[in-house]
Amino acid sequence: MTQDNTPFDHRPDPVLGSALRQALAPGDESAFVAALMGSAERAGAASWDAVLARWARVGVAAAVIVVLVAGYVMRRSPATAASRLAPVADALLTPAAQGAELDVVLTSVMDD
Amino acid sequence: MTCDPQPPVPAARIAETDGQLVARTLGGDRAAFGFLVERYAASVRRVALAVLGDPDDADDAAQDALLAALTNLRQYDAARPFGPWLMRVVANAATDRRRRRRVRHTEPLDPRLAAGGVAPDAETQRRALGQRLREALAQLPERRRIAVVLFDVEGYSHAEIAHVLGIPEGTVRSEVFHARRALRPLLQDWKEHE
Repeated sequence: MTQDNTPFDHRPDPVLGSALRQALAPGDESAFVAALMGSAERAGAASWDAVLARWARVGVAAAVIVVLVAGYVMRRSPATAASRLAPVADALLTPAAQGAELDVVLTSVMDD
Repeated sequence: MTCDPQPPVPAARIAETDGQLVARTLGGDRAAFGFLVERYAASVRRVALAVLGDPDDADDAAQDALLAALTNLRQYDAARPFGPWLMRVVANAATDRRRRRRVRHTEPLDPRLAAGGVAPDAETQRRALGQRLREALAQLPERRRIAVVLFDVEGYSHAEIAHVLGIPEGTVRSEVFHARRALRPLLQDWKEHE
């Protein structure tokens, strides 16, 4: 208490500071730090669990969508392939069409 | 009789600035956060105790505050000093806990000590002074308590305390003045007994 007690006193009061420091002295610091770091680790692990859980939920949702899309495609695929191949097969198996193609090819070869 | 020597603190750890430790913590280095905690634990606990009065409550608040600081570390502006930012988190955590708390747990003051009676030895007197200071602090408005502890104990400037409390610098000066006016007579009483 070596300084003037005025509102304009801008310097810390070392005597009052020291007395307050002793009055507010915390307990075992190493135990506090250890407990805190343990909590931080648990909080970190919990947040990782939350992240993994989020990823798991997204993964399951994505897998369900993939299965549904795949099922839809599989159901639709044979019909689509058959409908695409049908005109080709018809053209190849139709004698008239095959004959016409051959005529065209032979004609072009003979002309050359 | 020999005492177990304290493990030496690595020089690199001392030399690292708060900003460097924060950056390392953000990079996932949990040990860096541990260094920050060791650096600020005592201050954080003192400020929390000044607000709450009860050591257990204060440690819970201090722990909440440090974990909140870790969680929200990306919000810290590295261009500014770390201490005031952390103290703001601590003050908020302690204030929140104080508001939630329904019953205050304070040890009853020994009537002889409260009356300034002669204590048997210096250590007892010192403890009595501590208790009276804590009691006197508890009578002050919360903002005044935080201001005087941050200024006279922790050494923060008026401007930094203004940032911590979200009030003008002039108000901080006024709060410190009023707190000192309430607390200094206790010291005078103690010095007269010494």
